[in-house]
Amino acid sequence: MAEPIIEAERLGIKFATNRRRKRSLREMFIHGNRRDPNRGASDFWALRNVSFTITKGECVGIVGKNGTGKSTLLKLIAGVLIPDEGRVTVRGKVAPLLELRAGFNDHLTGRENVYLVGALHGMSNEMLQERFDEIIEFAEIESRFIDTPVRHYSSGMKVRLGFALISQLEHPIMLVDEVLAVGDKSFRNKCYDAIERMLQNQRTMVLVSHNEGDLKRFCDRGLYIKNGELVLDTDIKAALDAYNADTKAEIAKRKKKSKAA
Amino acid sequence: MASRTLDVWQHRKVVRHLVRRDLKVKYQNSILGYAWSMLEPLAMACVYYFVFGVVFAATGGAREAPGGPDAPGGYALFLLSGLLPWMWFSAALSDAPRALTTHSKLITTMKVPREIFPLAIVQTKFVEYLLTWPVLLMFVVVLRGETGWNFFWVIPAIAVQFILSLGMTLLLSSINVLLRDVERIVRILNRVLFYSTPVIYPLFRVTEIDALPDWFKWLYQHNPLAGIFQMHHAVWYASEAPPASVLWTTVGGAILVMLVGYVTFRRLESAVLKEL
Repeated sequence: MAEPIIEAERLGIKFATNRRRKRSLREMFIHGNRRDPNRGASDFWALRNVSFTITKGECVGIVGKNGTGKSTLLKLIAGVLIPDEGRVTVRGKVAPLLELRAGFNDHLTGRENVYLVGALHGMSNEMLQERFDEIIEFAEIESRFIDTPVRHYSSGMKVRLGFALISQLEHPIMLVDEVLAVGDKSFRNKCYDAIERMLQNQRTMVLVSHNEGDLKRFCDRGLYIKNGELVLDTDIKAALDAYNADTKAEIAKRKKKSKAA
Repeated sequence: MASRTLDVWQHRKVVRHLVRRDLKVKYQNSILGYAWSMLEPLAMACVYYFVFGVVFAATGGAREAPGGPDAPGGYALFLLSGLLPWMWFSAALSDAPRALTTHSKLITTMKVPREIFPLAIVQTKFVEYLLTWPVLLMFVVVLRGETGWNFFWVIPAIAVQFILSLGMTLLLSSINVLLRDVERIVRILNRVLFYSTPVIYPLFRVTEIDALPDWFKWLYQHNPLAGIFQMHHAVWYASEAPPASVLWTTVGGAILVMLVGYVTFRRLESAVLKEL
């Protein structure tokens, strides 16, 4: 078997809970640790003991309830969070479709932003010049707006431009976090096509979504995360079934409770 | 540290883009553009010239350039040669706490060595400083400033200042994410450092005062910033060249700040990423 492209070993990350507010220096110096507003705060493991490997060309969907650490896991893979335990090894460049408006500067025009953010993601100037028209066309931004500062754009325009730009990246690994939920129907269809095109050349994708259709469409493997732990690592259907069964059980329990009360 | 440095070097293009963007944003929405970055130091120079060069001189407490009032360049050039690099330092200092917080969106979605954001700030301000040189040279011609081999003091002056500024920015930017007080402290620090460094007055004015205890004078002279600005002044006034002992503490101090800044930055990195 080929060397795994993403490898997670006993991954764990914790956040401090009950941090009501940041401590100021005054409190730290005058009161020492006695009046720490965060004292008694316990650490909360957003993820713990998560191990898996993903080989090249796989498309993995991550399912789970809100707040169980799906996005955190993507961020750990992207390398924008540092794990407290274990480690994650990623072999290859990552195209993060996490927050599509990220990096756009409101004061610059659409054109300047495309060049800036593209360059930040490692695209060369020639490549950007070559694909500029394609990006604008994909994003459905009228040519008279492209030289307008981005602060005058609608939020939909910004997201479209972001997707159009980042989907041009040729990095071998794609991380997608719910971005398919944006845009109107016709744009969403274009996004699907773009992702399918990207997946063709043996690219690896990790997708976080609540949309079963999306997951079934793209992914063959599913990771089910529950309370910060990886409980299932199977094909996407089984993962979704387990998730749905758990959700159903929970709803039933809630109903029972409200009836009892 | 070596691998991280290499990593930053490989991302130098990103730094360049950040620098270019900051300059672009700064200049495009104002009519005067470049003129603004000159106007501020010039206005400050006029104020200080009036207070120290005219008012105090008339009352006996003359603030003149090293070499007397008739030295080439005079007090006006002395002021400018200190104020322009000071603008670089103080602008970097006041922007340092926000180096990471303003880019939180980028940092939380893109994997780049986080050090590049503080680096970009120091570099942006450095470019702005370089842009003030044509005006400085104009003043040198008009005021008949003189230089010679001592012109080369400019190289260590800039190099040491760059290291010191970078270390400071690394330190402040990471701490500020966790403790927002840093921004306030910086404002005070900026003022205090300005007057406790020989920027607008020659260093010998302080060492001449008999009332000051020797330890104070020693401490004053060996503040790394004092050495840096003595070097900046020495470009036009050879007599200001710092002695070897001051030079060593300046270089050592800058490297120490850099190390402390870097270690703090790395130590806090994980917590900073969670907080952003």
